[in-house]
Amino acid sequence: MEIRRFILKRLIEICIIFFVILTVLFLLFHLSPGDPVTKMVDPTMTPEDAEHLIDQLGLNQPLWLQYIYYLKNFFSGNFGTSFHYGEPVFAVILNRLPNTIVLFTTAIILSAFVGIFFGKIASWHKGKQTDTWITLGALICHTIFLPWLALLMIWVFAFKVGWFPLNGMISPEVWTNPSAGLWHKLLDVIHHMILPLATLFCIHFGSYLLIMRSSMLDTLKEDYILTARAKGLDEKVIRNRHAAPNAALPVVTSVGLSLAFSINGGALTETVFSWPGIGRELVFAVSNNDYPLAMASFLLIAIVVLLANLVVDVLYAYLDPRIRY
Amino acid sequence: MTLLAVDNLCVGYRTRKGFIEAVEGVSFVLKRGRSLGFVGESGSGKTTVGMALMRLLPDNASIRQGSIIFEGQELLAMPAAQLRQIRWKKIAMIFQAAMNALNPIHRVNDQIAEAILTHDPLATKASAMQQVEDLFSLVDLPADRMRDYPHQYSGGMKQRAVIAMALACHPALIIADEPTTALDVIVQDQILSAVKKVQKQMNISLIFISHDIAVVADVCDDIGVMYAGQLVEYGRRDEVFEAPVHPYTKALLASYLTLDGAAAQPMPFTGATPNLIDPPPGCRFCDRCPLSDAACSLDVPEYAEITPTHKALCFHCK
Amino acid sequence: MVTNKSMQLFNGSGRLYKRYPMIGRFLENWSVFNESLIGRIGLVLLAVFALMALFSFFTPMIDPMYHPMTGVDPQISNSTGPSWRHWLGTDFIGRDILCQLLAGARIAFMVGISAAFMSIVLGTIIGMIAGYAGHIVDTLLMRLADMIMVMPTLLVVLILSSLFGQLNIWTIVLLIALFRWPGVSRVIRAQTLSLKQRPFIEAAKVTGVSHFRIIFRHIMPNVLPLSLLYMTFRVTSAIIIEAALAFLGFGDPGTVSWGMMLQWVWKTGHMFQAPYWLLPPGICISLLTLSFYMLGRAMEEVIDPRLREEGEIE
Repeated sequence: MEIRRFILKRLIEICIIFFVILTVLFLLFHLSPGDPVTKMVDPTMTPEDAEHLIDQLGLNQPLWLQYIYYLKNFFSGNFGTSFHYGEPVFAVILNRLPNTIVLFTTAIILSAFVGIFFGKIASWHKGKQTDTWITLGALICHTIFLPWLALLMIWVFAFKVGWFPLNGMISPEVWTNPSAGLWHKLLDVIHHMILPLATLFCIHFGSYLLIMRSSMLDTLKEDYILTARAKGLDEKVIRNRHAAPNAALPVVTSVGLSLAFSINGGALTETVFSWPGIGRELVFAVSNNDYPLAMASFLLIAIVVLLANLVVDVLYAYLDPRIRY
Repeated sequence: MTLLAVDNLCVGYRTRKGFIEAVEGVSFVLKRGRSLGFVGESGSGKTTVGMALMRLLPDNASIRQGSIIFEGQELLAMPAAQLRQIRWKKIAMIFQAAMNALNPIHRVNDQIAEAILTHDPLATKASAMQQVEDLFSLVDLPADRMRDYPHQYSGGMKQRAVIAMALACHPALIIADEPTTALDVIVQDQILSAVKKVQKQMNISLIFISHDIAVVADVCDDIGVMYAGQLVEYGRRDEVFEAPVHPYTKALLASYLTLDGAAAQPMPFTGATPNLIDPPPGCRFCDRCPLSDAACSLDVPEYAEITPTHKALCFHCK
Repeated sequence: MVTNKSMQLFNGSGRLYKRYPMIGRFLENWSVFNESLIGRIGLVLLAVFALMALFSFFTPMIDPMYHPMTGVDPQISNSTGPSWRHWLGTDFIGRDILCQLLAGARIAFMVGISAAFMSIVLGTIIGMIAGYAGHIVDTLLMRLADMIMVMPTLLVVLILSSLFGQLNIWTIVLLIALFRWPGVSRVIRAQTLSLKQRPFIEAAKVTGVSHFRIIFRHIMPNVLPLSLLYMTFRVTSAIIIEAALAFLGFGDPGTVSWGMMLQWVWKTGHMFQAPYWLLPPGICISLLTLSFYMLGRAMEEVIDPRLREEGEIE
């Protein structure tokens, strides 16, 4: 199949799924106890402003019209005003989005590569000490409770040894210092990012490694590996050129399937490290009953997950010729 | 001129249930340019023999004794690095499940060229590709499909590609393990003639493994019949077909229908193949053999020489 | 050793096996399970946690101050380290940490097993119906499954709790179950599809057995082992989601769970001063997850013979 048609088909599917999510969220919002107006309008607003907002969101209209308003507002990027920030929600979350994406994608990509690499090594030495230790480490990484790991990281590396900052994404003194160059600022962000990155990395690394290991063990039983052996190829060539690329395909699939699970972890990590991303914003909004912010963050996260799924699908199609052609 | 001499080969597998004696005392000699066929039912050890020749047995297998002498060198004592030089350059293989013998994520021509580039230090990428093109025309594959992936090929095309790959380094010996089993009869016939053509043309020795005695009869000069891990009868094609002596061979030939219906007198088998974990002490066929007597199940049979080229493992064949 | 004995029982005299085929099958499976070190470690760990959960019923009987939620040591009003009175120390208002830990085991088992059970029942039924019915029913159910699969469960529960207010523990269990069935149903569907091709299902159809009966009498017994396997994996994910929810402060305020203990140590600012309080709940969650994972892996070997080491030759 043409790759373009494949992407188009997936895009249409994603649009449908997103539309359903949008509608379900709307219904839940109106089914839930309490007055929609008090949920969407900040009680500290002046009456005129409140009136204007109610008009804009269509909250004084019949339900079906409210739905139309809701869709219209959504597609024009109008999600209402955050109670806490007093700013349009759209501006708030758009601001947070890059922070989440940077942290999240770096962690996933890094852990996928490292996981695949060590999974390959472990399966190659199956039953030997190397395998036992690598697998044991992966098992621990895979099953450790993420928020707890995050707390431990802070406790050990930020508090006890003091290598890294306790939380946040930037140090104000660096960013307000007019003489600090771009490079300096970037280093500061990286310095803040290492602990949350390490946390997310650990969790994903373990599961990718375990998948790679068992997939590699399956692949090594395939006939084409026997062919490669019979061809007199070097063991390293067999491992790296014939077995590993095939074995890595299920890992790519699992990256896609576990994205939803990963984003849970992302939100937890952001919250513990006060990393200003959308996940933390969602948790924060829910704690403060900031409904407009909560709903908008949730929808944005849904979009991110769906698009990331698409990226993984395309990557898979690129890696596996059986799908591409 | 002897190319390959196998003497008293014994191979076993460690399994959960015990040690399986899959191949027991197999000996044969193969001359350059000749073809030898092994027939037998599944589990008779014929594939194990083929794999042992290339030392490609799975990890739980062990070669307990015997020797495999190829071009004057003992294969069983050869270090891995040297063995890699022999594989494919000297002995190539056409696999049982050709459907899966090609790696799905590499292009067919790259996979064939890989064999050439590995074994010929003088080959360049371009010259290897030129050779692949020649090989494609040799096995009647269209050259414009070279850059395809295996899943784009039909079953017959994959099998041809696998044959082309086996020929890539002009080996002295090709081991073909059920190369036509998964194919329909017409394609099977085309593949067999392709194999015969290149074998004669390039003067390659061939070991052909199949459960189908008709196919073996079509391709091979010599025939070995395997039963329960043993070579029960071995000889020239005509000797085995015209004058079979072992009861198992007779039964096997009788069950195979010829077009004129002459031999259509199938002999029903009773009993089952023996348990190879703890094989019976005597003849392994005696449970199912119409000729068996008390001695058969107790004494170990020895090869009886019927002619210098024809032998059988039976007490009753003289 | 046990292995040999049970194998003997299974192969040997055969009387027991003949009269009760279930027992024979169980012993055979058990011997495979028992051979895997991972499975044995998992089982032992689980037993320890089960004992902890059991003990949690007794601690308040010793002294009311050992009640995990309401018990406060009258002499202590802040967090103290381990002592003879409180083996693992006390939390910020003088409650015993060990008691909370024991109660947490009970909650974890309760949440994990009930949520997993519900999602497995749901997933198995939906998977069987989708696979058996095929066509439009299959497409619709599987699209629904896809849709739910891409939803991050934790965040969905969060947004629901923002809309519907504080959730109690059973609502949380129910929500986890509702969002964790798609993975199971996909596997069961695939299994059902292959079973549908088998002669005995064809035969049942031809003889006019009702669809309902075919699904529940003929297909279900064949997919149940797989469901059971997935249940162990679902238990883990349910426990993690509940713990994470409690950690973020959205747990049931009427229960003490490990996640909630972590939330307390974190939010009351004790995490740098009180390792005796920070470490135990995290270790417990991680170990319980690990033990269910190991159990699942070992069961996988029993259920999928392909995974057993050193198979037969062809």
